[in-house]
Order: sequence, then structure tokens, then C-alpha cells
Amino acid sequence: MQCTPTSALIRGLGAATVALGLAACGGSQVNPDTPGAVSLTDPSGDDNGPGDYIYPTDQVYKPGSFDLRSFEVIPKGDTVEFRVGVGSRIEDPWGSKDWGGNGFSLQMAFIHIDTDGVAGSGVTAALPGVNVRFAEAQAWDKVVIISPQGPTRVNSEVETKAADVKDRVVVPKVTRASGRTLIAVVDVADLGGAPQPGWGYQVLMQSNEGFPAKTDLLTRKVNEFEGQHRFGGGTDYDNDPHVIDMLAGRAAGGDDEKAAQHAALSKYTRDANEPTPADLAEVPMIYPGK
Amino acid sequence: MSARTASILPVGGLVAVGAALACLLAPAPARADTDNFELNGKIYTKYLYKNDDSAGCLSLSNPFWPDNIGGNNGACTEFELTILGRASKYVTTGVRLKSRFGALWQGWWENGDVRWDYPNDTLFVENTSGESLGMNHAQYVKLRGAFIRVAPPIPTVRWVHIGASDLGMFNEWTVGKVRYIDRDNANGVFVEGDFADRTVQYHAAAIATPKLFIGPRWTSGLSNADPRADYWASDWTYALKLDYRPSSALALRLIGSYVHDWEADDNDPDATGPSDVERGTNRAIEREIRYQGANATLDARLSPESMDWLNLTGLVAYSYNLVNTDYAANSVRDDQGFSPLLYLVDGEGEPEAAQGFAGKVRVEMYDPFEAGVSLKLEYFNIGSEFNAIFGARREGDVLLTDGIIGSGFIKGGQLPTLNLANEFIDFDEAWYETIIGWHGATALLELQRGLLAASLEGTFVTYNTNQQGRDTDNQYPDFLYTDGFTDPQAFTADQDYGNIYDRGSDPRSVYKEFQDRQTLIAVLNAESAIPGAEDLKFAVKGKWVHDTDSRKADNAEDDYVGDLFLGYGMLKWQATNEFATGLGYEWQRWDEERRSGSQEQGFYDYATTKHTGRLVASYTFGGLTFNYLLEYFHKDQERDRPGSPDQQWRVWRAKASVETGW
Repeated sequence: MQCTPTSALIRGLGAATVALGLAACGGSQVNPDTPGAVSLTDPSGDDNGPGDYIYPTDQVYKPGSFDLRSFEVIPKGDTVEFRVGVGSRIEDPWGSKDWGGNGFSLQMAFIHIDTDGVAGSGVTAALPGVNVRFAEAQAWDKVVIISPQGPTRVNSEVETKAADVKDRVVVPKVTRASGRTLIAVVDVADLGGAPQPGWGYQVLMQSNEGFPAKTDLLTRKVNEFEGQHRFGGGTDYDNDPHVIDMLAGRAAGGDDEKAAQHAALSKYTRDANEPTPADLAEVPMIYPGK
Repeated sequence: MSARTASILPVGGLVAVGAALACLLAPAPARADTDNFELNGKIYTKYLYKNDDSAGCLSLSNPFWPDNIGGNNGACTEFELTILGRASKYVTTGVRLKSRFGALWQGWWENGDVRWDYPNDTLFVENTSGESLGMNHAQYVKLRGAFIRVAPPIPTVRWVHIGASDLGMFNEWTVGKVRYIDRDNANGVFVEGDFADRTVQYHAAAIATPKLFIGPRWTSGLSNADPRADYWASDWTYALKLDYRPSSALALRLIGSYVHDWEADDNDPDATGPSDVERGTNRAIEREIRYQGANATLDARLSPESMDWLNLTGLVAYSYNLVNTDYAANSVRDDQGFSPLLYLVDGEGEPEAAQGFAGKVRVEMYDPFEAGVSLKLEYFNIGSEFNAIFGARREGDVLLTDGIIGSGFIKGGQLPTLNLANEFIDFDEAWYETIIGWHGATALLELQRGLLAASLEGTFVTYNTNQQGRDTDNQYPDFLYTDGFTDPQAFTADQDYGNIYDRGSDPRSVYKEFQDRQTLIAVLNAESAIPGAEDLKFAVKGKWVHDTDSRKADNAEDDYVGDLFLGYGMLKWQATNEFATGLGYEWQRWDEERRSGSQEQGFYDYATTKHTGRLVASYTFGGLTFNYLLEYFHKDQERDRPGSPDQQWRVWRAKASVETGW
């Protein structure tokens, strides 16, 4: 978060003193001295997957809703807080509390973590419905699902559609939204230990689909043409990456990272109607400590 | 058979039949090509029980004319099939087929035979209303929505959508999203596109006006509802939305809608006598306007890039409603004040449009101090005659405040229309109150830290509808029940359209003959996982509403003072990945001085105590979801009013559902 005189003034007005506002301008909540703490940035305006994805047409999908802007890992004793920032205020147009949800409706983020950095250890396929893969040397070991759905529904979907990796899936004990930030609190034990400087991360932005296809883990499809509740710009088969935004490059927010994202997500076999893993786009793992 | 094939049948029918037979006899492909088809099915079964003797699967059905799907005891199943297709890359289609809800399992083989009525003046007569041909209990599959969506090669146009829609593209103040149970019932033609390098996007619509709830007497011309009207098939509503994003931080949106209700001219020669050119008949009937309504909003959202914790939104709205009483009965006068529209008249006694403005501004500061503390402030000012007749009727909430009607178990929402829909619901569903005339502000402080999320709200409301001597006999609908806190739980427990059980004011009642009212609302919410036992989560809520109304200025003996106190707690346990359960309790105490009565007979005190307990459980496995809710509703109402004895409710009720989709 940037701290300008204007922002300091407005913060200060919020608490009746400019001094307090200035004191509060400390940037992110991440303390860089904490081992395993991470603060990454993603450029704005790249919420278009390989470069030409279009949001669904229903008015609930507001511009920037899936534009990944920031990602933070905040170790806090026995727990770890993950914070995923997007480009628009997170809303709850479908009243998630009525269906046991977490106070927001649209966004969903898969945080893939490579905890051991060992080639050949972990999983290369992303969760069902995302249609991407990881390189063998960057296989993920844990994935945290930030979903508006309650834990019962998420666990059930994992059991049904991703049973082979269910022990690697972490459903947070607290999931919520505040402003433009998705927040998940996870037990250290569920991650296999406290975050380490060498861990790798990849955040894949998706949209929560309450009525997913039978092979999709609560993910919203990308089709050739957008629909009321379908993204457009891809294909009508499951070969295109169903990823709207992700971390890329050095994850410092540079414009070159847009190009890196577009390049990575464009490398899939468009005419593979029944794609094999090799036909899917390969996404990178980001290692902030390396 | 395509339309083109049908057109050549008279000439080349044999050729066409031959071609069709050839197709049937041709070898089938190795596998079905399902790329153009997408099928989704769902079965939903509900079990509803209560300690009474009613039969039905819906706690609160249509409160007006008898609808025999309502009742508190029964098991009912519904099935739906959604078919999505793709004729080409430019044309997609969708259909939803759904069985009619309301048949009980015990119904066995009810087949939808003709229903006969037995009025007093004749032996019997066939009921031809279309609502009651016995089909209420037949599980026929009905076409609930069909649409075609085309991406034509027309400049600026991205999509043309023809057919069913949930109208979710506009907003609550103009044309609102259709409530869930009606989600595909709206039909129209919708064109969406963009220009100026996508910085301006538009969405234009011509919507078939629903005959059953838009217009005077909740109809656009159904004679059963309004004898002065009998023509609804040409009534359309037009709407346009323009979105403009001058920068990534600022978004502007302009929406306008217009409802036009035609009637046939009663004085047209073709309608008043025999065919005779001398009389001017010509087999064409002139039209007259029965009702016109217009709504517009302009809203802005500012989210500065450099201050991602700050969000500013503002909205101004305008409404216009004019009823032609030559073609619309005055339902304020004739229906005991139940009307979704005002019937204003000018000094000459001629119909006059009801016009109103509304506005709100919201400032949201999300965790500006990086301490987990957020602050939201909202100012709202809704004109006394603002009314979004085609706005959202439920399942929306335009204000920050918790409002008056919401409790712990029953959620509440605020909407700017007299056309609310608090029916066709079960006892556990949300209730909505109209905010017409509300003028005030809300401050909401939120804390999110670790496992804990808490909020503290303070709201002050005064009312633009405060007035002395308002004409609620002919012009302003008061919905008959104007006094006291509303009790949604009693509404669904009683199935009491006549309000003989004294359940408080109607949520649409904002106009009174004498009113000088203001309200304070304070709400505390908190929820958290329990440290060390994170599978256990608790939620608590405390609420106080202080509502005063001095009523008639020169009568000191009619002043209303109401205090609502609410305490709520719920403990939830995620026992396994698949199974969760919870136990909750809610207490309410209402102390209401001079709640009910009249200027002539005086007003009398009420004291109400409510206890509600709930047990909930859910189980989800392999694509099947099971939900269960058991409630005990215990209410005591002490009434000082002579002739009004104290009342009590001792209601047990339960709802379970099993649902699976594939």
C-alpha cells in the first residue's frame, strides 16, 4: 500500500488526527523480519488470463473483481494468515450467509505452495476445473482454498472431485473478506509447518461457481464467448486455462509480469478437445526467498 | 422441424418426409456429440412440519387469494432440468424445465383434473382462472425459461439476448433482480454492447411487464384484480443502463426505466356498440394509458488506486408514478389501504403524479490503520414519495444498517419500494422492509483480528413521511396495519392474512394519518472460532431499537414509545468434513407504550417476550446435500387494550431438505 500525503490526511480524518494517520502508514501487515513472511504484488489490469479473457456479463461481476493485486503470507504463532488483494471491493451479491458461506460470493483463490522445493515431489496438476499444470520441479505440496463456500461444501467437493490430493488440500478455519482483501487463517500444522523463506507460491484467481460442472471444483468456466455467468475469450473445451489472474515474473507488480502471465497462459493446445496434461498451460511457482 | 421445413410442406411435403426418414435410417455416429449440449439436473425434496393441522410445503404462501400450496406439514419434491446449447459459435440457447411445486408425497396420483367452484348464485361453475385447474397439485413439468443469445456482427453490439432473464443487469432502484423463485419468469429483448474502446458499456431492454405485480392493484390489466382494466398483453417496460469508467478508480452508472400500461379505450365506438361506419367503428380500438412509471439512478464509485483501503459510493435516484383512475380502481380507497402506488390528486381533484428523489452516500475505510479496524459511514435520504415499483422486491439490501426488521435468526433487508414481496417463503427466510421516507445516517465499526470478526452499528433515522393529517383514506396507502414492531416469525406461524393475531405493522406501511417518528438502532455482532477448538464457532448479536412516534401533534396521550431488545447466540460445530451442526437461542423483549388504538378510543400498551431456539444440521457428501432445522418459537404478548386478550405462541416447526444436482 502506498502512503501519500493525501492518503495520510484521509486516514487521519478517519480517526480525527492526521498524526495517527501518518503513524498508521506502515505499508502492509507483513513484518519482513518474520521468517516466512511474504508480500508479493501483481500488476493491475491483467485480469484477462492469457490476455483476452472477458468477464461474465451479469452486473455482479464488477471490473477488477478478479484482478489479483497483492498476496501476503503473515505467520502468527500457530496460525498463518493469507491475504489476497483484488482490484475491486469484495461484495456478497448472492447472500452467502444464507448458504453457510463466508460473507462474499464471487471470488475464489487457490494458493498453491511448494513447501519442499524438491523436483518430483508434490503434484503437478492443478485442482480440477482450473486446467493448468505446474512444472515437475515446481510441483505443489499444499493448496489453500479461499472460497466463499462453507467448509462442509468445500470438503465435500474435494472428497468427490480431488480425492487423490485431499490430504494436501487445506480448507481454512476462518475465511472472510474485508474491503478488497480475501483473508484466510490456516493452522501451521495443516501446512506441515511454519512458512519458510524457501517456499514457493502461486495464486490462481478463479470465480466461485455454486453449480459447477461435475469435474470442476467449484470453478467457473471460461468459454469462447462470455455469458451471463461464464467468462469469455477461451474455448468451449477444457483445454484453456480457467485462470483469470495469477502471480508471474518476480511478482513485484511490473508491467513485464503481465506479458509473462499472458505468455504462460497462452501455451495450451487450442484444438485438443480432449486434452491431456501436456496440452494444458504450465504456470510458474514464485519463490520470494530465492 | 425447422420453420423453413414447415413452410415448404404444402408443396414439397413428401420430399421433406423422405429426407427425414433418410436421416433416421442413416448410421448413428460412434458417440453422441455433446459439445453443443449441456444438461444439468436437480432434485430437491423438502420436508416441512409444524404442530398444527395444515397441509402444504410452504410456510407463507400467497396471502391474498387462496393458494393451496401453502401449509406447514408435508413432503414435496421438485425436479428441474437446465439445457444449455450452442447452435453456432455466435448463437447460444438455454432452457429451464421445472416441475410444479406443491404436490405432497401423500397426494399419490392427483392428476390435475378440472376444478369446479360452487358459488351461491348458481349450482356450480368451472373455475377458469388458470390458477386452480387442479394443477396446483399435479407435478407437471413447466417451461420456466427459454432464451436465445446472439452475437451479431453489428457495430458496438456484443450480445442480443431474447427471452428469459432474471433482470439482474439493472439495480434495486429501477428494475430489480427478480426474486429467486421467479428467476426465469421475466422475458424481454436485451441488447448489450460497448463503444469508445469499451470505456462506455450499455445495456438496453424491452421487458414484458409482468401482469401480476406491476401497476395499480398489483396488475397491469388483469380484470380479476381490477375490474376497470382488462388488457395487459401489450404492456412493456423499457430500461437502459450506461456504464462509464473514465479511469480505473472511478466508475459511473446511469440507469433509467419506464413502465407503460395500456388499456383499451372504453369509449371507442368499436367497444360501445354495433359495427357502423356512421358511428366511427373501424375494427381498431384506441388505447388509453392506465399507468406510467419512470425511475432513474446515477451512481458513482470511487476506489483510489493509491488508497486501496478507501471506497466511496454515491447514488441519486428519481421516481415518477402516475395512475389514470379512469382505468384503475383506487386501491387506497377500495382495498383498505393496500396499494403499491399512491393515488395523488391536485387541487382540482385530478390525478397527479407522485414524484420523489432519493440519495445515499457511503464512505468505507477498510483497515486504514492496519489494525483490523474498519469504519463505514452512510448518509441516506429517501423521499416520501419515492417508489421503485419495478425495483427489487426481496433478496436485496440497499442500506448499510441492519434495519428494524432483522433479528438473529431472521435476516432483514431494506428496499426502496412499496412493492415488497414477503410471501412464498418458509419460516426461516429473510424479511424485507421498505425505506421510503427514511432519512438518517449509519456508522458501522468493524473489527477483524485473527479468529474474531465483530461489528458495532449505530443508526439514526427520522422520516420524510412525518406529517399531520395525511390523507390515508384516498391518496396514501397505509397497508392497514401501521403500529408496532413487525413480527416475521408470527407472520409465518399464523398464515394470517387478516392480521387477527396482531403481529405488528406491515413492512410496507410508511404512511400514517398522523406521524412524527424517529428511530435509533444499535447493533453489536461478533463471531469467532474458539481458540484451541477451532471446529467450534460462535456468533452473538445484540440489538436495541428505540422507536418513537408522537403521532398527532395536539394529542399528548397518543405518543408511541417502543423499545426492542434482542439477544442472540449460536454455537456451530464442524464435526467432520461433511457434517456440521449448531444450536442457537434468541431472546426478544418489546416494550411498547401506546402501541395500538385510535385517536378516538385511545392507545394501549403492549409487552412482548419471545424465546426462539434452533437446532441446525447439514451433511454434504458425494454431491448430496442434506439440511435440517428444528425451531421452537415461544411468544407471549400482553395487551392492555380492552377486548384484546393476551396471546401466546407455542410453536414447534421443522424444515429439512435433500438436494442433489448432476
